Amino acid sequence: MDFNYFLTLLVFSPLLGIGLLAFMPKANESGIKMLGVLATLPSLILALIAYFSYRGGHDLANFSEKFRWIQFGGQGAEQSGMFSVNYELGIDGFGLIMVVLTAVIATLAAIASFHIKKEWKGYYMLFLLLEIGMLGVFTSQNLILFFLFFEITLIPMFFLIGKWGYYEKEKAAYSFLIYNGLGSAILLIVIMVLFSRTGTSNIEMLSVMMNTDNAPLFAPVSESLKMGLLIALLVAFGVKLPIFPLHSWMLRVHVEAPPSIVMIHSGILLKIGAFGLIRFGMGIFPEQFAELAGLLAVLGVINLLYGAFLAFIQTDFKMVLAYSSISHMGIVLIGLGALNEAGIQGAIFQVVSHGLISALLFFLVGVLYERTHTTTLANLGGMAKGMPLASGFLLAGAMASLGLPGMSGFVSEFMAFLGLFEEMPVLAAVGTIGIIMTAVYLLRAVLAITYGNAEREFAGVTDIRSFEWAPVLVLIGLIVLIGVYPAVLSEPLQATLETILMGIGG
Amino acid sequence: MENAWLIPLFPLVSFLFLLLFGKKLKEASAFVGILLTLASLVYSILVLIERFSESTFKAEAVWLTIGNLELTAGFEVNQLNALMLVIVSLVSFLVHTYSKGYMHGDERFPVFYAYLGLFTFAMLGLVISPNLLQTYIFWELVGVGSFLLIGFYFYKESAKAAAKKAFIMTRIGDVGLLIGMILLFWQTGSFEYDEIFAAVEEGAISGTMITLTAILIFIGAVGKSGQFPLHTWLPDAMEGPTPVSALIHAATMVAAGVYLVASLFPLFNASETAMLTVAIIGAFTAIFAATIGLVQTDIKRVLAFSTVSQLGYMMLALGSAGYVAGVFHLMTHAFFKALLFLAAGSVIHAVHTQDIEKMGGLWKRLSFTGPLFLIGTLAISGVPLFSGFFSKDEILIAAWANGNYPLFWLAVIAAFFTAFYMFRLFFMIFSGEARSEMKNVHESPSVMTMPMVVLAVLAVVAGYVNTPWFGTFLGDWLVEGNEALGHGHIEGPGWIMIVATVVSLLGILLAWMMYSKKSISRDWLSSRAPLAYGIVKNKYYIDEIYNQSIVFGAKAISLFLRFIEVFLVEGLVKLTTAAVQGLGKTGAKIQNGQVQTYGTIAFVGLAVLIVIYALTGGYL
Amino acid sequence: MSSVPVSAYLALALILFCIGLYGALTKKNTVIVLISIELMLNAVNINLVTFSKYGVNPSITGQVFALFSIAVAAAEVAVGLAILISLYRNRRTVNIDEMNQLKN
Repeated sequence: MDFNYFLTLLVFSPLLGIGLLAFMPKANESGIKMLGVLATLPSLILALIAYFSYRGGHDLANFSEKFRWIQFGGQGAEQSGMFSVNYELGIDGFGLIMVVLTAVIATLAAIASFHIKKEWKGYYMLFLLLEIGMLGVFTSQNLILFFLFFEITLIPMFFLIGKWGYYEKEKAAYSFLIYNGLGSAILLIVIMVLFSRTGTSNIEMLSVMMNTDNAPLFAPVSESLKMGLLIALLVAFGVKLPIFPLHSWMLRVHVEAPPSIVMIHSGILLKIGAFGLIRFGMGIFPEQFAELAGLLAVLGVINLLYGAFLAFIQTDFKMVLAYSSISHMGIVLIGLGALNEAGIQGAIFQVVSHGLISALLFFLVGVLYERTHTTTLANLGGMAKGMPLASGFLLAGAMASLGLPGMSGFVSEFMAFLGLFEEMPVLAAVGTIGIIMTAVYLLRAVLAITYGNAEREFAGVTDIRSFEWAPVLVLIGLIVLIGVYPAVLSEPLQATLETILMGIGG
Repeated sequence: MENAWLIPLFPLVSFLFLLLFGKKLKEASAFVGILLTLASLVYSILVLIERFSESTFKAEAVWLTIGNLELTAGFEVNQLNALMLVIVSLVSFLVHTYSKGYMHGDERFPVFYAYLGLFTFAMLGLVISPNLLQTYIFWELVGVGSFLLIGFYFYKESAKAAAKKAFIMTRIGDVGLLIGMILLFWQTGSFEYDEIFAAVEEGAISGTMITLTAILIFIGAVGKSGQFPLHTWLPDAMEGPTPVSALIHAATMVAAGVYLVASLFPLFNASETAMLTVAIIGAFTAIFAATIGLVQTDIKRVLAFSTVSQLGYMMLALGSAGYVAGVFHLMTHAFFKALLFLAAGSVIHAVHTQDIEKMGGLWKRLSFTGPLFLIGTLAISGVPLFSGFFSKDEILIAAWANGNYPLFWLAVIAAFFTAFYMFRLFFMIFSGEARSEMKNVHESPSVMTMPMVVLAVLAVVAGYVNTPWFGTFLGDWLVEGNEALGHGHIEGPGWIMIVATVVSLLGILLAWMMYSKKSISRDWLSSRAPLAYGIVKNKYYIDEIYNQSIVFGAKAISLFLRFIEVFLVEGLVKLTTAAVQGLGKTGAKIQNGQVQTYGTIAFVGLAVLIVIYALTGGYL
Repeated sequence: MSSVPVSAYLALALILFCIGLYGALTKKNTVIVLISIELMLNAVNINLVTFSKYGVNPSITGQVFALFSIAVAAAEVAVGLAILISLYRNRRTVNIDEMNQLKN
């Protein structure tokens, strides 16, 4: 099989949908919705082809593409090298997993977007643009290309939140844009410093150059500068992840954005932070990363406990889930901070697992809100009576989220803690309080919704119907699949993990 | 035996099948559940019989690779596992059968059977796990099964609270288990039981580490087995349907803690401190729960506290190096306690109340359930010739032989209490006159009574597999080929048996005098020591203490963090925005259209730049 | 002949420039401001001439440039005064504080 242009096709296939949507009449609601979902399918199919051909023995290097894009410098006598920016796409095991995750969740979120009540055309066009950005982020092999795609995700998100959100949507959209804009600005600084000193922005070349002595650099990069750049990266991606105390924007987004967008946001966009930290932080600055590992682990435990305790006293289900995202991202940090195979693999598992689980939970939030028009815990109760299936899935989602074995959350949580216990047992023991608290707040919230006396006003609600089955079943299926047979993730990851660990020297 | 892994799969199939098709099957789903658990039971018995002649079988495959580490999953059939398989599948099968009658007419009938299937799957998976990780996985799944079944009547606030409490309390214990397990892993490089034991034997782990991990794992067992101080969920768990209480909260899941300690016995045995902790917690729980059981008036709660107390006995046995005694009591207890719960369910089914103050005089009206309940009561009270007598005797001997004399006497007193409150329960339900109007009292259908009969037979005869008189088959078999588990039979002075008999008979006599013959007033003690009575009646206020301390503490921390969130984090954000806004406003003020101001600023800026340039030596 | 040191010329230019700058930034009368600007220009001219005579590479270029500068300054004053007069006609004031049309 020939894989030329495969990734380009994969990344830009939603463009086709955008083009077709542009010619759709505005009022044709069902047509637009169908087209919107269909437009996400090509990239999903291509992503699955990539996954299975990889499992079938194809080398991922076959997927790489490279075209010369921008070049300058190199004319002067004293400058030996050229500044070159190439259009480079490629995937490794980690990238592959993230691409598949993105494609799956994008399709499901497109289905979930059927709940959207107005201006479907603009919505789906922005949505597809967002998907291009996300796919590009995970496939670009070049910092500048990465940055471009990273920015492409911001703009549609801003409008999607600001236009289709709830009451305080504008505020949420602005705080999203400001925080993430600052994050990208810092990221841009890091990229430019690296670019100007090495003349390349290829990630692989950078990680080689940064870690070999006497590499041909345009200007030297001292150890302290590397540390500074890593901390800047940590801040830039820490906004995205989010790391305490840079998290307040994502609470607003979680609460105000439409649930289908939160599926994307919490499922994938937050993961870009983790992806970036692993890819760039660990890849380009492994030694400095190892020095910061303790700090990361501490931050992770803080995130975990802080999110868990605050989720415990929230009165709105969306807020509970928002804080729960913070808490779960703490586990990613814990895994990264452990800096051993178990920890890093746990972190990556957590990235995927939380992506699926939070997508599921937010989809159900959307289903719930569509029928009850409230997500306040005090106003809900006894939903298991009127909608037993939805309640069952909600409970299953909560169980997955609190790390029930047999579901994906357990595998990742277990590995992250396994890793951390090897390195810092005391800190890890403190972190385990988070495991208890997770159970406490999730049960408190979910049981408040599903169990108890049925409110009379919700007597006539309908259960999960027609199109709503697809996301629920697919997500639950994937969650259980990863939980029961984790090799679906761990095998593609082995090569990536080895590279990372070689850099760290572990 | 090679296919023992099929045993847990039958109930799993039942669970999945009923989840998908339960709605269509309605009450016919009972047959699915019953047939599939019967398959498990038959298979388990075959495996047990095979195990008598063959040695331990173990098979594993890689489940998860982490770099060079390979975590495996599989199954193992050793003596303990084989025995547990039979106990679990038997009780589960009987409860499945019984529930067909008990749950008749419930609109979520198929869901109930699906949950039962899930639980049975998890429990069977737990008992054939060859390593700690897999044990932990099923351990949690068992907890979920229990959670779902306790909260089966989800529309009841009390059921909701009880389910939540059960899950969270056991999870606290589970975290202990998780930590202990991971620490052991990094010490020994494996989750496998045999490799851990080998490492312990070789002395590869330091003594303090053994003690630490053993105690952490014991915390897990404490949570699951309802030992003090994590016992409070178990009485509340009685909110679930009564067959569930019989299956989960009497015979199987709560015994999982005991099972865990038993399967890690060599690890515990390597640390004196750990053993002593287990013994003390066990003995204390035994007497502590027994005293609470004395004054409860809810039939299921009395049984719940007696379960807690009996589990304490088992822990005491294990902590006193009485491996056989602990497992033996685990087995007999499973039978007679399941019997008692099913009989209690039958009573509740007949009179539609759980309050024993409202019962009375049911002996004649429930002519079948009554004698069965009596058999269970006799067995738990340790009356000679019933199964409970032999196993309790073993425990007392083990405690004595180990030199834990204070614990021994505690256990003896607890035995007295047990006999007393169990017969108090019995007399209040069955003897005398009805204390409230009860209509439509009818005996349960045979689908409910037959399982009770089976259990009653077992409650009588199960003790004879291990007696000082006819031979200690069970004990000898259990420890066969493994010296680390101690002896098959511990010799003890003969008077212990007599003491045990005397105290249980005394307890029965006292109960008879107070509640049946009424020659001693019921209020004789409670009116003399109202304070003590109040404390015991309110279960030593443990729930209240937890509410005031831990729940309150967690809330306080949360509120404190919210304070940080609102004032510190949001405050910082506000500060930043204010600073930016302030800067903007100042800038706008300077922009006043006056050429002179512009000039001044340009000049000052130039001067500053020059100064910076001079100071930095032209670096920038 | 050259008993006057370079630094004296430069000091004179500096003082002149500072007076001019001060006047340009603080005086309220626009005419004075224009005069102050002329002072600064002349300070520059002094510097130009000084360096053309005593600089590292003495040459005539500096003096020529000073002449240019004087010519340009003359033109500038002419234009400046013209603007000022038209402003005065419109607003009846030469007070610089009232001339803030840049803001609008």
